[in-house]
Amino acid sequence: MTRTISLGLRGALWLWMSACIWGAFFYAWSDPAFIGQSSRILFFHVPMAWTSFVAYFAAAVWSAGYLWGGRQARHDRAAAAAVECGVLFGVLATITGSLWARIEWGAFWNWDPRQTSIVVVLLFYGAYLALRSAMADREVRARISSVYALIALVVTPFFYFIVPRITESLHPEPVINAERKLDVDPRMFYVLIGSSLAYMALFFWIHNLRSRAQALADAQEDELP
Amino acid sequence: MELGGLGWIFAVNLIIWTGLFLFLLRLDRRIAGLEAGKSR
Amino acid sequence: MPSPTSHWVASARAVFAKDWRCELRSRYALNAIGLFAVTTLVVTSAALGPSGSNQAMAINVLPAILWLILLFAAAAGLPRVFVHEEESRTANALRLAATPSALFAGKVAFGLSLLLAIEALVAPLYLAVMNLNLASPGLFVGALVAGGYGLATGSVLIAALASQARGRSTLFSVLAFPVLMPLLLLAIELTRNSVAGDPAGPALPQLLLYDGTVTIAGLMLFPAVWNP
Repeated sequence: MTRTISLGLRGALWLWMSACIWGAFFYAWSDPAFIGQSSRILFFHVPMAWTSFVAYFAAAVWSAGYLWGGRQARHDRAAAAAVECGVLFGVLATITGSLWARIEWGAFWNWDPRQTSIVVVLLFYGAYLALRSAMADREVRARISSVYALIALVVTPFFYFIVPRITESLHPEPVINAERKLDVDPRMFYVLIGSSLAYMALFFWIHNLRSRAQALADAQEDELP
Repeated sequence: MELGGLGWIFAVNLIIWTGLFLFLLRLDRRIAGLEAGKSR
Repeated sequence: MPSPTSHWVASARAVFAKDWRCELRSRYALNAIGLFAVTTLVVTSAALGPSGSNQAMAINVLPAILWLILLFAAAAGLPRVFVHEEESRTANALRLAATPSALFAGKVAFGLSLLLAIEALVAPLYLAVMNLNLASPGLFVGALVAGGYGLATGSVLIAALASQARGRSTLFSVLAFPVLMPLLLLAIELTRNSVAGDPAGPALPQLLLYDGTVTIAGLMLFPAVWNP
């Protein structure tokens, strides 16, 4: 019964994501403010960036859950898997962003504040993964890396204030601007939101698989003499 | 279909997504199988 | 019966005094940080010459180099504060002797006093050899103190994490630099303003906010690092 439901959910995700891809190319307008059809990458780039931030936040929540929720190994596995997914989506967002920058700004990389911030965040979570690989004992690794994930959560918001002062940004305004008014065409907005939901569902699926695979690997390690 | 046109790039995206989907589905089945083997 | 607060202060002070006594015996960190800072200072000033008279250099480049010297000096010496406890196998004795937050406070006080001593040595020397004139010396000292505090606190917290892992010294830099980067950018901005004579601007409250955030995060998270 649960098996049928979960298969149904996965099928629905396939349909939903496919519909979003169709919508990105045929339903939404191409924003005339941008060169050619380049605005369509928005429907892939922005959801990836949002998903990576959701993943980092989820990693911090699971880390706090590990430290103050009875030190259960499954929380640590979930945090590590979330960071891995966050880095994956973050790298994809960086690549799609710099493809767009090549078309719109003429160069793949020009240290726009958004580019600086995403690279610093990737450095942070790259350091997290390096830290994990440097500890063999599972309990110590879980404890220390949970602390590091929480430090990352409190330190990274500072970049939001600091980096824009260093160089001026050419990055388009966030979709919902300061006056809380919708700044985009409604069709673009629908596809963007739909696509973001699809990417987050994909994140939770990949995350679930990664955590379960790690649980199996840990259990196998325990069986070794 | 024009190479590099919207239809073409849509098809490429759909193929990549379907491939990823099938890969994840297979992975899910394998992990579920291993989990069932563990509990027995 | 002493009150809990005075007990906490007493154990933090005892950790601080013990670290300084060990340090004055071996002078490991003082020598490492001090010599490192002076060596890099000599190299950069030999390469650049007394470039402080060039206004663009003085404002854009020299404050950044000063803070990079301090960052690498801190990275050369501060990881020791926990590594030497693990190496001399005194970590467990410390676990019994002091509560984690008091231990953290004592270690931060030690790291901070060490770093301020190095700053007191390096900063005047740097101003002299670079021929750098300060428009507002008070802001410069403020930037050194507020920046030094964040640098010491962040480094001590990361040192505690890194001391638990293999490859401690390399790992320390990898872990610490993203954490310290906002601090460094803010301190450089403040130092620039002090050279140019501009008001402190939003960088000062943000630097103080960073210091406060790292202190609170350290006090909350350090017990989890320290106690198995």
